[in-house]
Amino acid sequence: MSQNKNKEILENPSEKVKEVPDSNILENPNGKVKEVPDSNILLFKSCLVSVEYPGIESSTCFVFDKLGIDYFVSDKQTCCTGLGHYSDIFDQFTTTVLGARNFSLAKTLERPNLVMLCATCYAINKKVANILNNKDDVRERVNDVFEESDLSDLKFEKGDLDSSANIFHLVDILYNKKDEISKHIKYDLSKFKIATHHGCHYCKVHYDDTIGGVRNPMILDDLISACNCETIGWYDHKRTTCGSGFRQRYSNKDLSMDVTKDKLMALKKDDVDILIHLCPNCHVQFDRYQNLIAEQSGEEFKTIHLNIAQFLAIAMGADWNSVVGTQTHTIPIDSIIKLDELEEITNNNCDNEDSVDDKGGN
Amino acid sequence: MSKLTIEETPLDFAESIINDIKSSKENGVLKCVQCGMCTSTCPAARHSDYNPRDMIQRVLEGDMSIVEDDSIWNCFYCYTCHSICPVGNSACEVNQILKQFAISKGINIDKISQYSEFGDSYLTKAIGGIPSVFFDDIREDVGEDWWEFKLNLDNVRDDLGLAPVYPPQEVIDEVGTLLVNCGFKERLDKIKQADNNSDLEINDVCESCDSLESKELCASCNKKVADSKESN
Repeated sequence: MSQNKNKEILENPSEKVKEVPDSNILENPNGKVKEVPDSNILLFKSCLVSVEYPGIESSTCFVFDKLGIDYFVSDKQTCCTGLGHYSDIFDQFTTTVLGARNFSLAKTLERPNLVMLCATCYAINKKVANILNNKDDVRERVNDVFEESDLSDLKFEKGDLDSSANIFHLVDILYNKKDEISKHIKYDLSKFKIATHHGCHYCKVHYDDTIGGVRNPMILDDLISACNCETIGWYDHKRTTCGSGFRQRYSNKDLSMDVTKDKLMALKKDDVDILIHLCPNCHVQFDRYQNLIAEQSGEEFKTIHLNIAQFLAIAMGADWNSVVGTQTHTIPIDSIIKLDELEEITNNNCDNEDSVDDKGGN
Repeated sequence: MSKLTIEETPLDFAESIINDIKSSKENGVLKCVQCGMCTSTCPAARHSDYNPRDMIQRVLEGDMSIVEDDSIWNCFYCYTCHSICPVGNSACEVNQILKQFAISKGINIDKISQYSEFGDSYLTKAIGGIPSVFFDDIREDVGEDWWEFKLNLDNVRDDLGLAPVYPPQEVIDEVGTLLVNCGFKERLDKIKQADNNSDLEINDVCESCDSLESKELCASCNKKVADSKESN
């Protein structure tokens, strides 16, 4: 028994997610069981998604609708401060006040499950929830600011919202529905060489609460499997940052591009067609700057960059201009994926071996 | 039984980091065994003179000159060190706290003043955005297609069935009040005052959205300043 377990660890150092038979329950690498919601969701808008790759939001809505996820987008939710926070302009207290305001909105809307489109929103909001629950002096100061502003209804009471139980990333919600995903796949994308980039602020910040592992993160790879495709799995620099480094991309560009080039060279070595993202900041770094790095280094790179929601939307047959938003990309998506050459897969085929019959109920 | 007394003063520096609002690792700094795993896996260490192991050592020695050290500004905030530290320290968090110490002391303010527009953008539109001082560089690096897309953003969002980027005015007003009362507005004003680099001065007002901006495209409303001035 223990030998088998050791063998499994050796063969699979990825701390792969264990599934508990009941639906909606997933176990993280530390054996902590957590429930992943499919309703009462506040889909949290991201500033970078909104202004750089808005197709990530519309693709997420398209995929959530297909999967029957109950979500809502509110115009009253404001940004997590992420870009300013990690450029050191925003201090942690201000970020905590603004986070508490968004948590209060979720509570008022009776949608306590916050789902992030961006890895940094995910990390920031989880940290804010931890601070509000665990640092009593900070919570009191935050509530004092609300009172002083005549906004006492925004006050946060300890336990109002929990970092682990209430704050999720889009990929957590999708992972929980991966059997359902398989049933909606229209196009066969298995001929492409696909790799994944997991976004540091998803995997590495709250690493003890992340589904799918941190040393060799696999959650995106498993989601790609649900689309009847396989990724290349591990590759050199799989864990490495995109290189944006927040301020580094603008103030320290050579350093930033050196790190991004490490990863692009690794992807080139493995002849990768598509890199799958879960964070818009990583997406900007690769999609917007790949041509510059190619020009400066004399290398050629062919990889296109898609968020997991965009990849799923394409696989499910969504329109590229009115849903996927490929027109906002710098590296043209059709340089790799030719829509008119894609083969449709029949319903029988798209129910792959992992898929199960409709469980009924929830 | 012999008793070893440790000089407490050097650890005051580490204690001030442990007690910082950003610190999520209880006593993490004090647990550091100087194994160097952080530096071994650090992308900034691979490509620059930043050395997170050395940074933690200097913190533990009470060497406050680390706050003024330029190399700490090379951290990517990728949290690789944080995720891999065998004793549960977080060099990445320590780095962020050291930078906040630097800002509060007015050290290396020029390294963040270019980013003050994130704050302006939040104050006027309740959302962050890439500061417009970087737009010329981005246009040159990424290309005119990106620029055209930015100018056409509202139409693209419309095609995708998405609502406007910015929240309603009552939300912006509410958030503005909070940013004043939590001290952020004052912090931002001080950061701007402390910066003496004339290249970074924010000169113009985009009249259509009443936002401060610098070059020709307003970061808050994505309109050309020339257009908004003509329309007024």
